[in-house]
Amino acid sequence: MIEVAALVAAPLFAGGLSLTVHRSALLHAINLMSMAILVTAEIMITRTMLKDGPFTALEQLVYLDALSTFILFIIGTVGLACSFYMRSYLDEQVARGVIAPTRLNLFFFLFHMFLLAMIVATIANSVGVQWVAIEATTLATTFLIAFWRRRESLEAGWKYLILCSVGISLALFGVVLLYYSSLHVLSDVGQALNVTQLLTVADRLNPHVLKLAFIFILVGYGTKVGLVPMHSWLPDAYTEAPAPVVAMLAGVLEVVSVYAILRMRVIVDHAVPFAFTGGLLALLGFASLVTAAFFILIQHNYKRLFAYSSIEHMGIAMIGFGVGGALGTFGGLFHLLNHAFAKSMAFFAAGNIHRRFHTVEIGQVQGVSTAQPWTAMALMISGLALSALPPFSSFASEVQVVTALASQGVPGMWFTSTEGMVTIALSDQFERLALTAVFLMSVALAFGGLIYRITGMVWGTPTEGVLRQETWSLGHLPVILLAGALVVFSVFLPPPIRQLLEQATTILVIQ
Amino acid sequence: MQILPYNGAQLVDLCSALLLLTCFAIVAQRRLSSCVDLFALQSAFLVVTAALVAYLTGNQHLYIAAALTAVIKVIIIPLVLKKVIDRLNVKRELVMYVNVPTGLLICGGLVMLAFFIAQPIIPFGFLLTRDSLAIALGIVLIGFFTMIARQKAVTQLVGFLVLENGLFLAATAATYGMPLIVELGVFFDVLIATLIAGIYTNRLQDAFDNVDTNRLTVLKE
Repeated sequence: MIEVAALVAAPLFAGGLSLTVHRSALLHAINLMSMAILVTAEIMITRTMLKDGPFTALEQLVYLDALSTFILFIIGTVGLACSFYMRSYLDEQVARGVIAPTRLNLFFFLFHMFLLAMIVATIANSVGVQWVAIEATTLATTFLIAFWRRRESLEAGWKYLILCSVGISLALFGVVLLYYSSLHVLSDVGQALNVTQLLTVADRLNPHVLKLAFIFILVGYGTKVGLVPMHSWLPDAYTEAPAPVVAMLAGVLEVVSVYAILRMRVIVDHAVPFAFTGGLLALLGFASLVTAAFFILIQHNYKRLFAYSSIEHMGIAMIGFGVGGALGTFGGLFHLLNHAFAKSMAFFAAGNIHRRFHTVEIGQVQGVSTAQPWTAMALMISGLALSALPPFSSFASEVQVVTALASQGVPGMWFTSTEGMVTIALSDQFERLALTAVFLMSVALAFGGLIYRITGMVWGTPTEGVLRQETWSLGHLPVILLAGALVVFSVFLPPPIRQLLEQATTILVIQ
Repeated sequence: MQILPYNGAQLVDLCSALLLLTCFAIVAQRRLSSCVDLFALQSAFLVVTAALVAYLTGNQHLYIAAALTAVIKVIIIPLVLKKVIDRLNVKRELVMYVNVPTGLLICGGLVMLAFFIAQPIIPFGFLLTRDSLAIALGIVLIGFFTMIARQKAVTQLVGFLVLENGLFLAATAATYGMPLIVELGVFFDVLIATLIAGIYTNRLQDAFDNVDTNRLTVLKE
């Protein structure tokens, strides 16, 4: 299983090597090399997976199925795009004296550790190891977020560290509870947290304990996803962190955290009626969607604008998973992919604008199309894709989610099952109609806010003293590729990706 | 000496209760360095609990966990925190969002809440340690509360570590410890998190001349 070992070894070695190197070109070369190995390994794993089905590797430590392979695909693609973008971005920051050249290797070391932690969280068979890895992502990124060492970035980094560590601790309590229930069924102590083992006995686990465990895990990992009401760290961190880091946070880390919730959900769904997990996911999804739409509307800082748009889209994906069924789940997964592409692009553009205009205030940025034509195009495309307009694939996934919502409704929105806490005496049809209306209204609000702000930035004449030209650099390549992918995916999903998505959907839907 | 199962359970309960008691002491304590001392004391009780459970059940790997707790949480982390406090210009928590008596009352309520939540799942536990699960949840909630109620970065950190102690007690009590690889990972994460938070505290001190987290209000809507 050389390709699985390579997944872990590449970022590990690259990180260690980066610490010993000081030349910028060499650091970038190491990074690109490691990314190339990662992507190759991912392609090999995808082929094996699609041919032979799910498999375990490295003494049962690693478990790969369609779902985790799909997440690996997102990590690889966005990671590669970031690596290209970092080349021009970091060089310019060093040239301007924002980053001391001696600190560059620290940046790369932390970046590799961040990647490593996310990969381990994705491929780990044990839910416990997955927890350790997700906490490790917090530790690796907190200094990346505070990398500029200004007051604001220190504040954002501290908030991120504390909120996410506490949130994640709650998830650990959930993992302990899961272990508590599985120990009564499984005799092998060393394996009792492995997904492969848990899935075989999931229907015999104690439903009370599982419910409690799921709530803790949802709140814990939900903090890392940035779901409302655990989102308050997210806009600050996204504003303060360097652009490539934000692209990774928004594009990949959120997806990995959602993945951790989904893994747990599959296990819980075997023992507890589907309405329990579905209802909770949809509840948080709606809370995030509605809150974020409101904040998008009143935003005057473009990085925060994109941050709230992240919360909105995670909400939409959560609603998809909450509604469930083949359509909702497929839509949710597909939306994760589209959002990762569009959002990393948006933050690349935001990073370029910030470097040129030196402000994050929307009101002070005008005429990006004159000053930076390439960036203006990227900003426009990502804005349209984030508003889920055709011809972008986010339109397709959002339509899938809303269709599922309108046809199936949210399963047992309130817990009527055992405790009989609250029952809402509304007809089923009315509930579906109302929820769909809320969904569409929020999406429309977010669309209006986003497009209004972005067009304001793109058109007009730039303020005096802003350089009005943009030379082609390597950093533009990933933007073009991502934009192309967003358009192509809306009409044609390449067969391997389609197969991955379909198989992942069957894993997540428990009949 | 042979310890009867009934007496063993009593001993484990006693140790867990001592852990809970130190939580209340931390909530009532204003001096930063005393909070750290109390945290070290609490961790020492945790070591005793883990070793006791290991001895009574014959789970060898719990001894490793106990030893790691002793090294990391009783010795290293308090030392690091003391070093951080030495650099600060304010050694006492002067303003709190919640005063001490109210805080203690709230914590009492949190412990009751913990017993209420844990009640339905306690009967599935092992006889020896099943009451400790509710106590552990109580400690987690109190740690949570401390983080919210205090302003100093150091006391927030102590709150986080108390929370982590509660989780460790839960793992020891409910399941006789997690698989070794997970336990090692958790220790590693806690250690690194504390070191990082310590570095942050220093930088916050330099940047804001203060570690009151209520000064961190540059970023808002």
